[in-house]
Amino acid sequence: MKLTLPFRSDEPSAPGVHPKPLWSWSPKSDREAGDAVVSNFALHWFPAKVFKPSLDWNYSFWLGTASAALLLLLTLSGLPLLLLYIPSVERAYGSVKDIEYVVTFGKWIRAVHRIGAHLMVAVVFLHLVRVFLTGAYKNGSGRGQKREWNWVIGVVMFLLTLFLSFTGYLLPWDQLAYWAITVGTNIASSIPAVGPTIRWLLLGGREIDQATLLRFYVLHCFFLPVGLGVLFAYHMWRIRKDGGLARADREALLAEKRETPAGPTKTYTLLGVARGQAPAIRAASLEAPDVSVNAVNDLVRRIAIVVLGTIAVVGMLAVFVPSPLEEPANALITPNPAKAPWYFLWLQEIVTITTVRIGKFTINGAFLGGVILPGILVFLATFWPWLDRSGAAGAGVWFPADRKKQNTVFLAICLVIVVLTVVGTFMRGPYWHFYWPWQSWPEIPSRI
Amino acid sequence: MEKRTDSPYPRRDRPVLAAVGILLIISTALFAWSDRRHDWRWYQAEFKELVREKFGAEKSLSVPSGTQQIWVKNLGNADRCITCHQGVLWKGFETADHPFRTHPAEPLKGHPVERYGCTSCHGGQGYSIDAETAHGPVRHWEEPVLGKSLGEAYSIVDDKKALMQMNCNVCHRFDRETKGAEFINHAKKLLNQKGCRACHVVNGRGGTIGPDLTWVGDKAAEQFDMSRLSGQRTAFAWHVAHLKDPKALVADTVMPNFSFGSKDAQALAMLVMSWRHAPVPVEFRPGVARTDPQTTEEIAEEARMKSGPGAWFVKTGCFICHSISSLGVKSAAQIGPDLSTAVLDTQSRFGRTVDDFINSPTGTMQVVLSRQIILSPEEKLVAIQKLREAYAEHEKQKTAAGKGASAAAVAH
Repeated sequence: MKLTLPFRSDEPSAPGVHPKPLWSWSPKSDREAGDAVVSNFALHWFPAKVFKPSLDWNYSFWLGTASAALLLLLTLSGLPLLLLYIPSVERAYGSVKDIEYVVTFGKWIRAVHRIGAHLMVAVVFLHLVRVFLTGAYKNGSGRGQKREWNWVIGVVMFLLTLFLSFTGYLLPWDQLAYWAITVGTNIASSIPAVGPTIRWLLLGGREIDQATLLRFYVLHCFFLPVGLGVLFAYHMWRIRKDGGLARADREALLAEKRETPAGPTKTYTLLGVARGQAPAIRAASLEAPDVSVNAVNDLVRRIAIVVLGTIAVVGMLAVFVPSPLEEPANALITPNPAKAPWYFLWLQEIVTITTVRIGKFTINGAFLGGVILPGILVFLATFWPWLDRSGAAGAGVWFPADRKKQNTVFLAICLVIVVLTVVGTFMRGPYWHFYWPWQSWPEIPSRI
Repeated sequence: MEKRTDSPYPRRDRPVLAAVGILLIISTALFAWSDRRHDWRWYQAEFKELVREKFGAEKSLSVPSGTQQIWVKNLGNADRCITCHQGVLWKGFETADHPFRTHPAEPLKGHPVERYGCTSCHGGQGYSIDAETAHGPVRHWEEPVLGKSLGEAYSIVDDKKALMQMNCNVCHRFDRETKGAEFINHAKKLLNQKGCRACHVVNGRGGTIGPDLTWVGDKAAEQFDMSRLSGQRTAFAWHVAHLKDPKALVADTVMPNFSFGSKDAQALAMLVMSWRHAPVPVEFRPGVARTDPQTTEEIAEEARMKSGPGAWFVKTGCFICHSISSLGVKSAAQIGPDLSTAVLDTQSRFGRTVDDFINSPTGTMQVVLSRQIILSPEEKLVAIQKLREAYAEHEKQKTAAGKGASAAAVAH
């Protein structure tokens, strides 16, 4: 039985041209079987052979794979939530309470979605850090490489990840959500001239209300995931086109050229090659047996370890880490302190530091800390591949001497961001006062 | 297959993959366990056993299992309390331990469970099916169960269960007195005795020296200055302490110290805490006028007609459609003919005597007298007599008017 594409006829269109089946269940000839294998996308997800050092745990730390695993997990856990959550100002909070308390496994599904989202922000960030430090956005000697563009795609995907998390933050419609979005959108409105319009567009009005919830919901459940999915596919495709990880480039560049025995030219079938009836050929030294392994099983096994491991870790965390759901959103009561989502807290911290009060005058830091600074950082990050002057030897390896200066500056910036995030998350209490971890915050009063 | 050098990975990675597999199995077991471990499963089994002991195995089969809830659409409440408190509506568990005890019948008469749910009176988190989060106090849920243990925590005087009266008064706030709400009734008396309205507006009436208290129950705990409050840091505790000694909490206040005792202060704190915009539809609130207001003229006119010679027609309801002009009764609608001449009209319109018509009416009157104004045989006799009286009065007035007119003509 053959599965053919609907627009392809079974009849040969010209002598010697045979129709290619999409898939054959029981191929009648080696040719048909070979064609079915060749045209199968799933079998070509990975290259046939992988450069061995690219599989090392301590080169890439498999952070990209872990990000993809988290994206998969978020999609899967998001589907049931899509059926259970009601994007209405009156009922959103109640529906989340229902998910939390009475839906079978609802609490766990929500926790998986939440922890997965937080982890994804962190893991995607770490992936970005890894790629920068190893200079992996630099092209090697391969033809048609566009690694710098894959880096740009990656930066956009990182921003999409942040925005996905941010839009998801509002959906439970509790105090945490409401005020995090208030802080976030107020920072956006500090952009001169267009700021208030941006805030107005984000909120669908002048205050956070049903229109905002609907906008964030549709962005969160449709536009952003679809956008991220498309970019993800392109990101993966580019890695194949660019010849795998930058580490392979390095090998190709630096390894001594070795001789590969030329095989006699012969027409042979794919399965003939597989069965050893056809002569062995070596196309490139990078696929030489001593430096490469078969993708199936060695690559697939490692990917399974990372993906399933990520799922197992998130699944277990979700049992023990409860997802918070605060009081229902209330525009009249500001929690003290009101905090943005944790990954924006370094910005909120900078906003607070740069807000200077001189006598009666207040210089608002929101524009500097919330717009200018992250704007510059994103701009620099995006165009860094074209600003980077280090040599090709600086790519595909950790801490190369060639990249010492830029890596140091980059790490310093990352360190500042991480420290400020930690301070903002754990050490800022009521009125944004500083508290050491061992100091207790003033008790939050309750109603009865 | 093409010969390849030995890959080091199968040997190294297979144990790792196996470990990941074990982790996956553990995580699956964990989340299945976390969903199963709720106490309500145990309580349901226990209650079933209680019913079996008391009423036999057959009856115990009718005990529902799984999460149960009362969904009160009007209030937006989904109360899952009955998942554990299964005995609430069963007779015969009056002395059983909680959560199996039967609910006292008296309060449920006026507040049927299906219309009010549980949390609208008792407080607590109806969404939850775990004792701790359902009962509270728990972070991020500001409505703990207003029961005995909370009353003990606040050392409520005399009646440890009195805190619940706060929720009574969310609906009953316009009652002067509410049955069973001793603390609230006491506080309402104090409100008038101590002249709170001298300084505070309550329900639209009062002075402006102090803050308007009409919705003070909505004020969030964060909005109170708790810096000088000792003990529990809650809005309720603040109110109690503040009522006992206002200056101790707010140094520059002008509110006098009324030397309230603990019970007075607790009762007043409950009262003010109950003044909130609860999402309660108007039909849940007694004491709220739900009629179209009448003008004073309309009220005076109705009172006059009720005490005049046409009082019977007003009381019986005839006047809704008919005027009886000879007796001074004027219908606002005037849908039917004037009954002053009913004795003649039945003859001219139906060819029947008024007695006959009242006893077996036709047309609209047949519908009215069979469905809306149902008269006993005795009342029918009264009706006929009253109609005759009205006609007699009509005739009298006519001749008087005729005489007056001829007298006027003679005078000319």
